[in-house]
Amino acid sequence: MTTTTGIAPPADARRRRAGRRLPTSFDLVALVLAGVLLVLVCFPLLRVLVRMFYKDGHLTFEAISKTLAVDDLGELLFDTLVVVLGSSVLAVLVGSLLAWANTRTNARLGFLNGVFPYLPFLLPPIAGAVGWTMLLSEKAGLLNAWARDGLGAVGVHLETGPFDINSWYGLIFVYTVYAVPYVYMTVSAAMQGLDGNLEQASRVSGAGAFKTLRRVTLPALAPALGAGFLLSTWFGFGMFSIAQIIGTPAGIDMIPVRIVKLLTFSYPPNEDVAIGLSVIVVLFVGAAYYTQYRILKKSRFAAISGRADQHTVTDLGRWRHLVRSGVLLYVLVTTVLPMVGLFVVSLNGYWTSNIQWTSLNFDAFRVALFEDPKTQEAFVNSMTLGLVGGVAGILVAAIVSLYVAARRANRMVQGMDAAIKLPASISHMVIAVGILLLLAGEPFDLGGTWLILLLGYLALYLPQASIAADAAVATIGKELGEASRVSGGGRWKAFRRIDLPLMLPGLVGGFALLFVRIVGDLTASAILSGTDNVVVGFRILEVFNGGSYATLAALSSALVVVTGVILVVVLWLSKRIGVAKTR
Amino acid sequence: MQATTAREHGSDVPARPGEHAVEIRALSKRFRRRDGTVVPAIDEVELLVEPGEIVVLLGPSGCGKTTLLRSVAGLETPESGRISVGGRVVFDAAEKVDMPAERRGLSMVFQSYALWPHMTAARNVRYPLENRRGRRMSRKEMAAKVQRTLELVGMGGLGEQYPAQLSGGQQQRVALARALVNDSDVVLFDEPLSNVDAKVREQLRTELLATQRRLGFTALFVTHDQGEAMELATRIAVLDQGRVQQIGTPTEVYARPATEYVAKFIGNTNELSGTWDEASGSYTTALGAVRATKRGISPACLLWRPEHCSLHRERPTSGNGLEGRVVAVLYLGTHTEYLVRSGDVRSRVWVSGRNVDFQEGDDVWIGIPEEEVMVYPTGAEVSA
Repeated sequence: MTTTTGIAPPADARRRRAGRRLPTSFDLVALVLAGVLLVLVCFPLLRVLVRMFYKDGHLTFEAISKTLAVDDLGELLFDTLVVVLGSSVLAVLVGSLLAWANTRTNARLGFLNGVFPYLPFLLPPIAGAVGWTMLLSEKAGLLNAWARDGLGAVGVHLETGPFDINSWYGLIFVYTVYAVPYVYMTVSAAMQGLDGNLEQASRVSGAGAFKTLRRVTLPALAPALGAGFLLSTWFGFGMFSIAQIIGTPAGIDMIPVRIVKLLTFSYPPNEDVAIGLSVIVVLFVGAAYYTQYRILKKSRFAAISGRADQHTVTDLGRWRHLVRSGVLLYVLVTTVLPMVGLFVVSLNGYWTSNIQWTSLNFDAFRVALFEDPKTQEAFVNSMTLGLVGGVAGILVAAIVSLYVAARRANRMVQGMDAAIKLPASISHMVIAVGILLLLAGEPFDLGGTWLILLLGYLALYLPQASIAADAAVATIGKELGEASRVSGGGRWKAFRRIDLPLMLPGLVGGFALLFVRIVGDLTASAILSGTDNVVVGFRILEVFNGGSYATLAALSSALVVVTGVILVVVLWLSKRIGVAKTR
Repeated sequence: MQATTAREHGSDVPARPGEHAVEIRALSKRFRRRDGTVVPAIDEVELLVEPGEIVVLLGPSGCGKTTLLRSVAGLETPESGRISVGGRVVFDAAEKVDMPAERRGLSMVFQSYALWPHMTAARNVRYPLENRRGRRMSRKEMAAKVQRTLELVGMGGLGEQYPAQLSGGQQQRVALARALVNDSDVVLFDEPLSNVDAKVREQLRTELLATQRRLGFTALFVTHDQGEAMELATRIAVLDQGRVQQIGTPTEVYARPATEYVAKFIGNTNELSGTWDEASGSYTTALGAVRATKRGISPACLLWRPEHCSLHRERPTSGNGLEGRVVAVLYLGTHTEYLVRSGDVRSRVWVSGRNVDFQEGDDVWIGIPEEEVMVYPTGAEVSA
């Protein structure tokens, strides 16, 4: 031994710099993937903001001036705000009532907590909007016809109505139905963590069940209610399909519809105004966030303890069955009824209030799905995109989540993680516009390709995949990975043999969500899809704009069936995988 | 041999590699709290472990014992110092060497067992064999080795079970088998017995000791349980606030604690503070003069153990005598504990056997032999 330390470092020891190990190949891959996601997610948004002031190498305020010059800008803003805010208020009311009934009273139904978050996915908004049209259209709506028959029997004769889905209340109703699950998710989670002693104290002080709800439970839940409201408005500002299918026939113009019209259905596309409107959406969403932030900052709400075991169940007494029936009825009406509308119209072959129950057949499905090459192509494209996007998205999200989870303390990594989840907080519509601006023209020329759709879907829905992957990562104890390392396993081996199998149930669920969102998407599809890269959402829109209602219903039904089957199979599968491991 | 503190230890042992199974030199790591303050997790730690030893790292939670163990494993990166395992440098801050955990050739048993729930017990145990460097083992060899190791820990028939089907004790045995299967020279234990119930813990401890004697591996064992430390350790390293307070055999650490902290942490103590009085050759305390073998420390903290003193009706003729009144008598099976109050001072006295000679309210004398009084300078220890 001649060296001063007496020992020569072994050849396989890694060199360090500044106290850190060189990253392993796994870390490098994770970093590269995170970087790609970051670009995919943040650049479109930046592109929109830059385009606002900068066009063809010049500083310009054309986008602003042209947007302000739009004739009906005031009406457009007013309509959008009324629908979005009105439906959000209603959604908070309905969602929190449902959450309360189902988590904190003896009227609860265990299975609903698991089912609720998936309801909007089971019936994609585009299919739901078509379904409600089939049911409640003023003249031919099935429910309206049946209601008229019923009223006729008691001597009241109507030519149209009594309901009209293409109206203010119809539009707000459908928006509300789709916003309720967001409120339900945030509020029920908060309710499960709320200390039941607060409620017991109120009951002991002589307040009844409903007074306790109004005076104690609801105020204590204000932050969760605020978050639910925020999510509802965010959903509303980004929603295109419901606005298009229900709002447009009613003469109610909403910003998302106008943006798509300017970009896709005008020639040449009017980018300036579309950009201006997108920025208005960003401002609205930003304002909602700021308000939420201010409320939380000032509030005294934060101190609710999370002692879930203290959680009590309110006895509703004789109201119990009524409340339970109400909850069930809500789920049935909002989910099953529109599906029934879709199926009945498509099986009947044409849309009429006189359903020929004896001669229902699958002709419309045959025509819509198998005899129209364009629709076939659309289905093939959507399925492929769903599979490829779903698998790729969830795997990438899993690798990045693992990387992030191991470095929670690092500010840079935290920032990166937050940025990847950004589209979840910015309007989908705006991200899609950004993708179009960024990739459709020079130098990428991806307009009308399969790839631009894939990238668009990933940018929009990766946050969801990423959240699902985070939840899956959180279930794996830190020591399991460490045990692998101490046992001599490298990082990739640990990923393959330990992380991946253990995360599988969660990842499969995340894949299902991604797949269903991609296949049922209309926001990105309306902007990024065209005749060269047609997808289901876009095809439904085309048929809506000039095709038979039976075909429209058949297409929507097919979408519902595909979505439903995939969801049920995958959720069943993920439970099975989970069970196999522990038994 | 006089019990030594870390400082003394570090200075007089020459750095001759190859002799020690684990050699830790001047190892430090600090943690930054959320509020920005920096706390040392381990502070200039020196530790030499001979081959075949079980060295127990003992201390309360937050003393840095787990950080030290994880640094040896390669799961934490210290800021300075050096670690070698079996004469091979695995970490050296000055030389910028930091071997990743998977190449250090160590084994570790985790507090939570860390068994992979989607693999059977046998697959769990096989995993380290699959990662062996050099010649790859055939499937047959691996299966035989796994079976032998499972039998060694008394789990021969349960290889096909999943961890969730096993009891806590059984899971811990599988975890031990996984650590032993690769014939590592050094096995690290991170409070492996703290999650199993008392009876099973005792049994596992005995078996662990027997297995270690049979296989002869070196063990670094982290625990906060001093009984466990006494039973398992060849030597105990007592840690406090990231520093090694004393390293010694269980007997040394118990009988001759190097510091007031060690004396109080290991075993029970009674305490008096006093000042040295040269004229009388004793310490002046609130309860009168106390004589001790160690002289001349002032101000001093005087400690003695409850089992080293006795109770008398009259003032004892030899040794120290403290007057007091019995305020409580607790029969504890193996011994009886008397709580004696003298002024503001309460002392505990343990008398073996069930012979309850004294009762509540009795006036008594506590007899303490001079050589059983441990004397430490007051204020030298910041920590309690």
